[in-house]
Amino acid sequence: MHISEGILSGSVLIAGWAGTTAGIAYGLRKTESEKIVRTALISSAFFLASLVNVRIGPSSTHLTLLAPMGLILGYSVFPAVFVALLLQALLFHFGGLLVLGANTFIMGISALSVYILFGKVIRESDKKFLTFTISFIAGALAVMLGAFLVGLFLGLTDGNFLTAAKIIIVAHVPLALIEGIVTGFLISWLKKSSPEVLS
Amino acid sequence: MKKLMFVLMLTLCASKSYAHGVGFRQSSFRSIALEFFYSTGEKMSYREAKVFSPKDDKFAVQTGRTDEEGRFAFVPDCVGEWRVIVRDEEGHQCEAKIDIDDVSNLDMKAPEPEEPLYIRAILGVSIIFNIAMLIYRRKS
Repeated sequence: MHISEGILSGSVLIAGWAGTTAGIAYGLRKTESEKIVRTALISSAFFLASLVNVRIGPSSTHLTLLAPMGLILGYSVFPAVFVALLLQALLFHFGGLLVLGANTFIMGISALSVYILFGKVIRESDKKFLTFTISFIAGALAVMLGAFLVGLFLGLTDGNFLTAAKIIIVAHVPLALIEGIVTGFLISWLKKSSPEVLS
Repeated sequence: MKKLMFVLMLTLCASKSYAHGVGFRQSSFRSIALEFFYSTGEKMSYREAKVFSPKDDKFAVQTGRTDEEGRFAFVPDCVGEWRVIVRDEEGHQCEAKIDIDDVSNLDMKAPEPEEPLYIRAILGVSIIFNIAMLIYRRKS
């Protein structure tokens, strides 16, 4: 889901940085002191998840963990994504520094959206199956939303949004299903063992 | 008669200009072959590739696609930095920069070894927690 350096146009890069700056500023304001270590822990998990390859038929991809991040961190997800992506760019050469704003915005807003849509329902849910199902949907939706935004950013650059979006959304369907299952099990387990972790 | 001569000359000219022969010979030029792959190890098979020479940074001197193994070859004919850009439709792009000092000797320098992956991963996690501590101190 990382867009590489040198692909997006200047105006799209600026839009990405504007959204990311706003997200980080708001996220830092909403992050309470006692949640900072948790934010660092989840940011580290996101940073390392990019190294876990998932084989899907003839191709392979890596986990994003966008939905668990959003559901655990809430508004703090933007700073967490930004730092992790910055280090991925510097240490693993994923994405790039100029495109960091766009990549952070795409992943941050996807994670934040599922928190806004499903966070409260999951916290208040007292049925295991319902928690798993909603978490599964959240996990899959976060990936598909991210894929849609990647398509949108690429489409805004070369003016061929529909083609770019179609290719990327179809390519991300298997990952969305896998992330849905991972999110379903992870959030169900957290809900049972330490529900206070969910924002 | 003049008209006939004119038509005959026109026909000869036309047939000459459209009657190119074709052939091939083994080139004495050496090429540089590169392999492109994703961070997952998957090959960048059949992806769009463009080659930019040191003389022109804007227009590609060669375009094409990588093969099934993610390989792409080009023939540099002048010294300087050559760039090969391979991209897919999903926003991934790999740019290879090749410094050519001598077109008759294309032996590529071995890339500088990087730190092992686990060292970089540990370093990254360490930096994340250090940043967290800085924010924590400022907030409290």
